[in-house]
Amino acid sequence: MAETRTTLREHEAELVVASVTAVAGGVRELRLADESGTGLPPWTPGAHVDLVLGDLVRQYSLCGDPTDASSYTVAVLREQESRGGSAFVHEKLAEGSKVTMRGPRNHFPLVSAPSYQFIAGGIGITPLLPMIAEADASGADWHLTYGGRTRGSMAYADLLAGYGDRVTLAPADEVGLLDLAWILGDPGSGTLVYCCGPEPLLAAVDAVCEKAWPPGALHLERFAAKAADAPADGERAFELVLAGSGVTLQVPPDKSVFDVIQDAGISVLGSCHEGICGTCEQAVLEGEVDHRDSVLNESEKAANDAMMVCVSRCLSDRLVLDL
Amino acid sequence: MSSTRPPGAAAAVPTDCWYALATSAEVDRRLLAVRALGRPVLLFRTQAGGVVALEDRCAHRAYPLSAGALDDDTVRCGLCGFVYDSGGRCVSVPTQPRVPFGAHVAAYPTLERDGLVWAWLGEPGRARLHRVPELPWLTEPGWATVGGTAGIDAGFLLLHENFADVTQVPFVAPEIAPAALADAPPPLEVVVTETTVELGRTFPASPLPGWQAQMLGVADAQGATVQRAFFHSPAVWTDHWDVEHGAGTARMRFTQLVTPVDGRRSHLHWRVSRDFAIDDPAADERMHSMFGDYYERVQAAMETAQAVLDLDGPGREVNVAADVAALRVREIVRGMLADEGQAFARDQNRP
Repeated sequence: MAETRTTLREHEAELVVASVTAVAGGVRELRLADESGTGLPPWTPGAHVDLVLGDLVRQYSLCGDPTDASSYTVAVLREQESRGGSAFVHEKLAEGSKVTMRGPRNHFPLVSAPSYQFIAGGIGITPLLPMIAEADASGADWHLTYGGRTRGSMAYADLLAGYGDRVTLAPADEVGLLDLAWILGDPGSGTLVYCCGPEPLLAAVDAVCEKAWPPGALHLERFAAKAADAPADGERAFELVLAGSGVTLQVPPDKSVFDVIQDAGISVLGSCHEGICGTCEQAVLEGEVDHRDSVLNESEKAANDAMMVCVSRCLSDRLVLDL
Repeated sequence: MSSTRPPGAAAAVPTDCWYALATSAEVDRRLLAVRALGRPVLLFRTQAGGVVALEDRCAHRAYPLSAGALDDDTVRCGLCGFVYDSGGRCVSVPTQPRVPFGAHVAAYPTLERDGLVWAWLGEPGRARLHRVPELPWLTEPGWATVGGTAGIDAGFLLLHENFADVTQVPFVAPEIAPAALADAPPPLEVVVTETTVELGRTFPASPLPGWQAQMLGVADAQGATVQRAFFHSPAVWTDHWDVEHGAGTARMRFTQLVTPVDGRRSHLHWRVSRDFAIDDPAADERMHSMFGDYYERVQAAMETAQAVLDLDGPGREVNVAADVAALRVREIVRGMLADEGQAFARDQNRP
């Protein structure tokens, strides 16, 4: 029998901006509708999609109703120091605009638990909205602390107020910064912490949980790459073995593992190429991984059994992937 | 690619999913007992026409409620006489005026669509946050459907991995496969999302298989076939075959409803729908016998595979590029189990 050539790609669809709503100062909610009639794939809380915005590809969490097969909802903050994505959404997109969407994918899934501490900073509220709906529907005990600059900058504050005292709104101009030591003061058994927000908040929550919470209790998501600089003495070359495909390749200092795999004609998924979306994760069989991504947490990195091949490299001379 | 099958992955079953437990026609004013996800489930229809799914075991002693009787919309245990309403609450017991506090059986959310009865055996509150795949061809006019049901001694994941492996068809069932498959298989495109896997390939124009040419009444016709296959959820796999022939497009839809009885046994409801020769009983018979044979062969192969797993346990497996769809299905199921399982054992009945 002849060879069956197989290609792998993520779902892609052209969606239409069905509505644009201002949901807080500087935050636009977009409802992206499927007009093909084939229906949009199901997703679970914590999922995100890529939006292709001109020459840019950006990731946005889905924050609408997971049972809606006809549209997806995202909310986008106009960043002061936009790298182009948020400016595009705020300036170029209007009702009727067409946008290419890839995904959904989910690297921030809500794990079933009896109780949750949700912590959101600013626009980081978006992935937590469907999580909260699910935790509430499950009858879990949960609490959300939602920080922002001012009350008027905090998207969905009114909607969340409907949950009563399960939600604490904490605008910084009224109450100052979040008191994380107090919020995370009781590492209850079985409680999971879900956090999304700006890097300083994530780092602070990470530090508190590292000290006082059981490993695995904290789940967080980044939407900007953590700074991970190349070593001062330059990148090194290494040998790359794809165990399943039975090929051995060379990764030169100036090429990524991802590019080397693709150039060899082997199908591998990739999206952001910045180590933040998690699409290109591969299982590692051998070799000491030099993790440069923002997806894996410290214990996942230490396990050395998976890597994001778009940015991460290898500290040993030989890297063997299960591919 | 090579990988070690994760221990237990074939034994655990995702509960956060709508599963088809019966056809609409099977659920009436009688008590119907089914097993799913390691539990006994009782189905019946209320006087108003709604479908009720209850845990099929009396709260008093080990006895199936399905062996009792339906009075109006309540069920009376055939052993002890406890009576339950359609929400599973015990509303009377024969030996005392007061109903024992907290006496109830589990009631599962249900919905009816496309001629099927779906039930949610996971955390009840989460049911409304999940969708049931739409399978309109099962009931829409313009389609003819044949089908059958099989109890299969093989886990649900083995069945899905089999459906994902479209390269098997020429081996398992050479006579139903397009002729082009045997010598020059077209490229296979696999499209993934968080929760779904889709496969697609297009066969160039080639002579139609004899049975299809005959049903279409276009003997000796050439037809280009577009095949698309979908993993919708652990409960549903569908295959679409659209054949473009001289006189139009002939569409076929294969619906495979997989309901895990437990970790190593499944119920398969299969349906083959077509939009040609729809008022033709001879075509129905032909389709039923041809595809009934096919599903019997699938059943035999999967039972053999399950027997190997039962006897020798999971082993190291070698994968080829074309397995990428099956591996993604496994990954999705593994993720669903991780999201449900790591935590708090809400579900004491998990097999």
